[in-house]
Amino acid sequence: MEFPDGLRYTKDHEWVRAEGDEVVFGVTDYAQDQLGDIVYVELPEVGAEITQGEAFGSVEAVKAVADMYSPVTGEVVAVNDTVNDDPAVINSSPYEEGWMVRAKLSDAGQLDDLLSAADYAQLVEELGGEA
Amino acid sequence: MSESPRRTPFHARHLEFEGKMVPFAGWEMPVQYPRGIIHEHRRVREAAGLFDVSHMGRFYLRGAGSIDFTNSLITNNLAKLGEGQLLYSALCNETGGIIDDVTVYHLGDHALLVANAANADVVESWIRSHAPAGIEVDNATGRLAQLALQGPRAEEMLGEPFAGAVEAVGYYGYTQVDWRGGQILISRNGYTGEDGFEIYLPVTCADELWTALFDWGQAVGLEPIGLGARDSLRMEVNYALYGNELSPDVSPLETGLRWVVKFKKGDFIGREALLAQKKAGLERTLTGFAVDGKRLPRHGYPIMENGEQVGVVTSGGFCPSLEKGMGMALVPPRLTEVGSRLSIDARGRVIEAQVVERPFYKDGSVKKG
Repeated sequence: MEFPDGLRYTKDHEWVRAEGDEVVFGVTDYAQDQLGDIVYVELPEVGAEITQGEAFGSVEAVKAVADMYSPVTGEVVAVNDTVNDDPAVINSSPYEEGWMVRAKLSDAGQLDDLLSAADYAQLVEELGGEA
Repeated sequence: MSESPRRTPFHARHLEFEGKMVPFAGWEMPVQYPRGIIHEHRRVREAAGLFDVSHMGRFYLRGAGSIDFTNSLITNNLAKLGEGQLLYSALCNETGGIIDDVTVYHLGDHALLVANAANADVVESWIRSHAPAGIEVDNATGRLAQLALQGPRAEEMLGEPFAGAVEAVGYYGYTQVDWRGGQILISRNGYTGEDGFEIYLPVTCADELWTALFDWGQAVGLEPIGLGARDSLRMEVNYALYGNELSPDVSPLETGLRWVVKFKKGDFIGREALLAQKKAGLERTLTGFAVDGKRLPRHGYPIMENGEQVGVVTSGGFCPSLEKGMGMALVPPRLTEVGSRLSIDARGRVIEAQVVERPFYKDGSVKKG
């Protein structure tokens, strides 16, 4: 299982990539592996306000549905249409093609609260996953 | 106290195929293998798949009158069968609620009853508490392993002596084969809507038979299949599942199993209650629906009408062969006509759905009759 070094992570299994005053985020390799085949994703509208720790959308896998919790507070500036058309890319490429939301941060400091790759890998290991 | 989960004789094989092992009804079972549920589902619909179902409960009922005794426990009619045949039935309590759904093999002077893993203990106690003197209840779960080989190419991949033995075996028939020192029972039935077999074998033959099946199955692309696809396959052909469509609070008349209730066969546990229910009329029945849009229906979601709950989704999810969200629900009979609209409460959001014909998937290879 991969947790790339340059990204930040949440306990809710989202990853975040900082790009200036914006971020791109999605769900981690561990999350997609736990969910199994993903068949539908519900994402926010462009312009929507999202709040760190609150649900911003949901993901439907064959076996179960799960809420996704926003890793940041800010405004949605883009969503990935590819994952709407072909949700399976979240399984095959969670950090690249399977990105979900691009958001403009309300405050850049909030990324400091997120986990490093090493900390997240340890969390996954504690949950019984293979880091 | 939690006991560590039991492992089937195929445990090492699941690990070898990188199965994702999960706790299930007291057992450690593969929910899927690396290629995933949708892939496994399609493998069974298009070629063949092998399921380890050794976690199910297997009970021999022996002794004088054991066929009649077994028949008194179930709603379907075992007395109409002869040696070489099996049936599917409900096992009801006195109030007509479903304790379990079972497969029963007529073995001539005795019977083999197969129960769901989650209910094996309850079913065993139920049988023992009703068994008269002279009936022996033999729990063979630990001595026998059980496999389901399912798919349109299941029969052609079998090697000898099984290939020759099953030629004359029709739907819901079985035969027994001596193979490498063990007696193996193979029946033509299953729970996927495809042609195929259930195989009962001594655990001592488990490794050898698994290897033989994968050797033979190489030509058709046989793969092991986990619990996830087992569920999606059965849902797509509207087969009932205990804990979803079936429970002690639901009768077989309500939940799509009217066809396994044989009132004319004579007395059986639950008969009076079911007759009374039949006479009074049903307040809810099972229906099947397809959703509008992409949000999926799930087990337990309420069916709403004018702000009130009038029913419940018993099974729901993504049907891989039909590529849409579908499900089954217990609702008032007035909502079960094809074309009826249903409103489902999906965690506070509304899913609109339409009642459709069952089975959802009609192109299976199962050869009935």
